Amino acid sequence: MTASRTAGLERLTLGFIPLLDAALPIIAREGGFFAAEGLDVALSRENAWSTLRDKLAAGLLDGAHMLAPLPLAMSLGISGAACETLAPLVLGRNGNTLVLSSRWSEGMPLPETAIPPGDPDPAAGARDFARRLRHRGGPPPCLAIVHPFSCQHYQLREWLALGGIDADHEVKRVVLPPSRMAEALEEGRIDGFCVGEPWGSLAQRRGGGRIVASGAQLWPDHPEKVLGVTASWAERHPATLAALIRGLTGAADWLGASPEHARQARDWLALPPYLDRAASHLETLAPDTGPARQRLGGDLRPSPAAMAPMAAHLDHALRARGGRLAPARLSACYSPVHFDAATHQERA
Amino acid sequence: MPQPLKILLVDDEIVRAAMVEEALGQEGHEVVCRLQSPASLNEMVARHAPDVVIIDMESPDRDTLDSMSLLNRENPRPVVFFADQHQPDTMQAALEAGVSAYVVDGLVPSRVKAILEVAIARFASFQSMRTELDKARGQLADRKRIERAKGLLMKHQDCDEEQAYRMLRKLAMDRGQRIGEVAANVIDILERLEKGL
Repeated sequence: MTASRTAGLERLTLGFIPLLDAALPIIAREGGFFAAEGLDVALSRENAWSTLRDKLAAGLLDGAHMLAPLPLAMSLGISGAACETLAPLVLGRNGNTLVLSSRWSEGMPLPETAIPPGDPDPAAGARDFARRLRHRGGPPPCLAIVHPFSCQHYQLREWLALGGIDADHEVKRVVLPPSRMAEALEEGRIDGFCVGEPWGSLAQRRGGGRIVASGAQLWPDHPEKVLGVTASWAERHPATLAALIRGLTGAADWLGASPEHARQARDWLALPPYLDRAASHLETLAPDTGPARQRLGGDLRPSPAAMAPMAAHLDHALRARGGRLAPARLSACYSPVHFDAATHQERA
Repeated sequence: MPQPLKILLVDDEIVRAAMVEEALGQEGHEVVCRLQSPASLNEMVARHAPDVVIIDMESPDRDTLDSMSLLNRENPRPVVFFADQHQPDTMQAALEAGVSAYVVDGLVPSRVKAILEVAIARFASFQSMRTELDKARGQLADRKRIERAKGLLMKHQDCDEEQAYRMLRKLAMDRGQRIGEVAANVIDILERLEKGL
């Protein structure tokens, strides 16, 4: 689907996965920030990152809410068909939590109970996990992630490494949809998982496990989700991309302007086409207060330097296949050039 | 006659899954498992060791399947079948029908392509069946709404049925909406009036 103009508004479709950091596109649509930029944006809820990725590459979506590493993995041709993809805007930072089953987490130092709140040394929990793992013997514990090319996966690896655990050999990693994590944990099919909000907090509320670490502890304010568009789409529709960027920054500014707006945003997220019941436990959209310390809004400008922790892991994965990550690929993917062009036009 | 292939089918649309299974059976293949909301796709793939996995693109389990080749240390490690290396049209047709195929090592692409095409055809005909059904249901609902809106207009505007229908049609034309949509708005407004809201 390529952008087309009807009744004065340009129609386009963005894909998203039901997570709290899909908030900005939802706010921009519901709050009229896209319409103010002349865009009529349909939001298409997708059930899997790989399907969202393939639809974007095939042009069935104009843009998408994406895991921050995914546009680079698509550009490199290591996830799905090779497709040059850009991340012109950051949709959210932080928000990932590592949840371990009650059995594994009992007595562990936890982020939300520690003093000062939110900042125990994550290595203490990891070393504790390593001790239990080696003491227990038996089959390796099974830890779930949502996608291999995700910050969740890399943050889980990094946390394990803090405890001296080899992620490739001492634990078993599987991929599960976020909505099924809590259930799999309660049924004992997995021992823990690393996932984006609201799924970590929801699992803890259900009581099957506890949050033992957060992505924010390991990589403070690292971009977690980005807007993804293919390079060819960006080239064909520069004005539309600029309008998209301005619509999203407009939504972010509005969200940050008042607590009343955060409550309104929560109501929009809880609508059936978006997060539905997965957001119904929230009173407002101020997630940066929880252990996940999620940040929606604020600085949306992408920068290759901010992606360095993620890039190091991707480079490691490429080296295992005999390749390496060329810095030029990283710079091309997370370049702020489109963001700057769009926001400067606004001021002029 | 080529060796029959073992196919794992992941689809929670029972009718569609049965259609695909039947069609693949006619081609001489064996559908080892028709999985609906799989508790653990990993275990199913390990247990049945299929040659090909056919999965509904809209299944949340697609990420599990998509990442097995990266995360599994032991076999099987199914990889997505990119028809685009061989035939871009097949890839586009598969995306539009909403189905994708994963292949376990070493299968001849032409055999996989034949299987994928059978699945595409069944997914596409199921899609058009459902579109027809949705349309029929929509028309029925519209008819009921129009009757109700006419009744309310007759009561509130003190007019006859013919005049009420003309009012609805004019509203629809003025707003560029379907008459069913206009009827829904009229019901909403007049019912609120009746409740004194």
